[in-house]
Amino acid sequence: MSTAAAIGRTPVGKISASGRKWSELLLGAYLVLFFVYLFAPLLVMSLAAFNTYPQPSITQWQGWTLKWFGALADDQRILAGLVNSVLIGLGVIAAAIPLGLAGALLLTRVEGRYNGILYGVLVSPILTPGIILGISTLVFWRNFGVAGGLLLAGTAQATFIASYSMLMFMARLQRQDRTLEEAALDLGASPWLLFRRVTLPFLMPTIATAAVIGFLQSIENYNTTVFAIGGDWTLVTEIGSRFRFGLTPVINAIGVIFVILTIIGAIAWTILRQRE
Amino acid sequence: MRFRDFTAVHKTDLMVNAGEFFSILGPSGCGKTTILKMVAGFLEPTEGTVLIGGTPMTGVGPAQRPTALIFQNLALFPLMTVWENVAFGLEARGMRVAERRRRAGELLDLVALGGHEMKRPGELSGGQKQRVAIARALAVEPSVLLLDEPLSALDLKLRHHMRAELRAIQQRVGITFIYITHDQGEALTMSDRIAVMSQGRIEQIATPEELYGRPSSAFVATFVGANNVLHGRVTSAVNGHLSVDSPLGPLRARKTDGVAAGQETLIFVRPERIRLDPPPTVENRISGKVVRRELEGAYLQLEIATETGQRLLAQVTNADESVARKIGESLSVGFNAVDAQALPPGPLAVER
Amino acid sequence: MRNLLAIYGRTLTAIICLMVLFWVLAMILVPQIAMLHNSLWWTEKSGDAAAVTLRIDALYNDIGVLELDLAAAGDDEKAKITAEIESKRSEIAELESKEVSARRVYGFANYTRMSALHFGIFVKTMFFSALVTVLALIVCYPIAFAAAQVFTGEKAALLMLGLVVPYAINELLRIYAWLMILDYQGVINSALAWMGLVDFSKGTAIPFLQSPGAVFAAMIYAYILFMVFPIYNTLETLDRNQLDAARDLGAATARIHWRVAIPHAKPGIAVGCIMTFMLSAGSYSVPQIMTRGQGGDWFSQLIYRQFFDANNWNIGAAYAFTLLVACLVFIFLVMRMFGVGIREIAR
Repeated sequence: MSTAAAIGRTPVGKISASGRKWSELLLGAYLVLFFVYLFAPLLVMSLAAFNTYPQPSITQWQGWTLKWFGALADDQRILAGLVNSVLIGLGVIAAAIPLGLAGALLLTRVEGRYNGILYGVLVSPILTPGIILGISTLVFWRNFGVAGGLLLAGTAQATFIASYSMLMFMARLQRQDRTLEEAALDLGASPWLLFRRVTLPFLMPTIATAAVIGFLQSIENYNTTVFAIGGDWTLVTEIGSRFRFGLTPVINAIGVIFVILTIIGAIAWTILRQRE
Repeated sequence: MRFRDFTAVHKTDLMVNAGEFFSILGPSGCGKTTILKMVAGFLEPTEGTVLIGGTPMTGVGPAQRPTALIFQNLALFPLMTVWENVAFGLEARGMRVAERRRRAGELLDLVALGGHEMKRPGELSGGQKQRVAIARALAVEPSVLLLDEPLSALDLKLRHHMRAELRAIQQRVGITFIYITHDQGEALTMSDRIAVMSQGRIEQIATPEELYGRPSSAFVATFVGANNVLHGRVTSAVNGHLSVDSPLGPLRARKTDGVAAGQETLIFVRPERIRLDPPPTVENRISGKVVRRELEGAYLQLEIATETGQRLLAQVTNADESVARKIGESLSVGFNAVDAQALPPGPLAVER
Repeated sequence: MRNLLAIYGRTLTAIICLMVLFWVLAMILVPQIAMLHNSLWWTEKSGDAAAVTLRIDALYNDIGVLELDLAAAGDDEKAKITAEIESKRSEIAELESKEVSARRVYGFANYTRMSALHFGIFVKTMFFSALVTVLALIVCYPIAFAAAQVFTGEKAALLMLGLVVPYAINELLRIYAWLMILDYQGVINSALAWMGLVDFSKGTAIPFLQSPGAVFAAMIYAYILFMVFPIYNTLETLDRNQLDAARDLGAATARIHWRVAIPHAKPGIAVGCIMTFMLSAGSYSVPQIMTRGQGGDWFSQLIYRQFFDANNWNIGAAYAFTLLVACLVFIFLVMRMFGVGIREIAR
């Protein structure tokens, strides 16, 4: 019996080993194709930033240049848009993080019949198309005489960025040792001291992450912002409007800067994640 | 204390003396932690009141009560240093930094942790964490220290060491300790008095000696230490002795309240009170055969099967000549009437 | 609530509740209700309203002409022209007061009056968004599986890096890259010309951007990674021993995926599908860039036009609400199909 099993096993092992090798090759080829698909367009877009030809192109090559970066530095509308983006971004995290934290505390600490409903409402902005958030904010605040602009764009963004931060806070709070808060209370801490010395320090890493992610989401947002921005503009809505009027390689120069910053950020993020 | 339909703790009267080391002993789920949380103020009793030093505590939150709780997992603040942990209660009371630093140093010296002030809890060993938790609780000068199975996370050796240490600290500071445990060894070695709980009720409150020597219920008799259980019916009760008719023949036992002639009874005999080849003065004698033999070093554990199939556990010291007994050997065993405790029938503690 | 009160006390609890209340009411629910409300009324102009508007426009024109005359006229004519301007101004004021008094009428007309053309665009948007979702799922599952289960250590980290970088780069710039590829003189046509398949001078190059396929191609590229990460997150929690156990029991690769990996990844697949569909259906950036702001074949562009070009917020709100309902229906369908609840969806 045991010899039969041993004989039977050898060829089976061989087949599955070679089969696995094939499937690994196939997967490898698929991954290469996929990453070419992901990165080739970005390469095309980036290269055009260094082409002297005044239209964004890599096929009409007229020699290398850095002049589009110079033109970018002189482009007042783009620079003003960047300032607006940063302003909105800071405002958004200042609003979204407290809101997200309050929602997370309420949802993790209170068990009730309506908990599920509240959860659904608070995550709904993530599941709603961005343009709807922009439109509903615009329509709602018009009733109070507030017109589209930086303030409304920030408000509309904060609505869904708060939901993302809430999910991050909930994940963190679910890992919290509740006895720490009970211990602090038992030692006579006031709620405020407890919150400042026990809850907040525990949440600090998440607050930092949520702030960074929220800020980036705000800066990069287009679909919500374009509806709520009114006559103002952000860096991204300005880029968007350039496609209609005055598309030059300056946009590609911005693209190169974005790509470089993103690669640096992603590498830093990967290293941090590995260290954890 | 009730949670919805579940009664965690039935109506209970419990009086703990000031300066006492008082243990609440019971299997898990018996309601001992619920009592502790009511004393600490995390739970309000559904009925009745908690009084500390004669003052009713109804409506007083855990922050205001003169109690300090040591949590099962210790609940040290991982992001604060050791001294900040110890001084947290003082910080909550608004004490100035220099003052609370000094006080934390004193307390850490008291628990023999001087020099570890700047470490984080994560850098300490299990026993050191334990002592930080005690120092932190003592810092707020509570009149009652509540300990919720604080030794359960430690390994066996450290646990034994910490028993002595806890007792020593309690005697040094002189405040009341209420200690929750399911480990009878901890309760018996450290406590002045012990309450044994089962299914939300207190079965007995007594000193360790009394609890072990004179258990008042079948549950206590089998939960605290090992015991042989013999069934029977009381035939007469005279001169502080009971005569009991049992499948093993007539037996004599010590008289207890609540057991009278004509009643069913359970007789409990400690394994170390069972004597092998008893001299004629021993009142109860039974013959049997050795079926199991376990040498535990200083002791020898023998399991003896009688003719009726009843199993008896006997424990003899390694100094005794009966160590030479082999499995399958026939022998005669016996016990004195004073060593046999007769109690009304009731639920036994189930081996887990 | 008692838990929160016991730990954080009255003041902090009140602050927490008030903030959540503000978020729920002033930022989420009431704005949506306001949008719905806007979609349910329109201003009915009385029969000659159109004529009134035309008359007002004509009067403004006249005033413009008269003001030019005024500047060039001699002293004697000035008084006459000024008087004429004044009379026209008062007529305008009168007409405008009439125009403003247009009635507000409630009903479903903003929805039911949607033209066949617009409805066709709506259906097309939904269809293509669903197609983007399905394609993204097929393409992304192996990627997510590879990143979560096949590779370990450095290789897996590198793979993740390769996914995160394009994911984090701004949506507009990623779409722009495709504009350059599909442009008339773009990368593909140039490559075809180099191979001799098309000739720019003869005008045989392919106008990709004029076909709806261009928007579709860019849309897949823009939102494909929103499918990868949710699936990756769930597959990462799958114990590798389960896969080995299934293989050890003799299951073929396809069966391992069908019976072990995919059921485990269900919540992630559901989230990925919802996100991809929602982003595609509600995308304004992709059609805007791929058509260089000219075209109008995506429903989001129709909505934008109603708001900012036609200045008809009521119809715009109705269209927006239609899109919202379509997305909600999709979410419920997906939740049904995969048997997952809202708690598992948003994690």
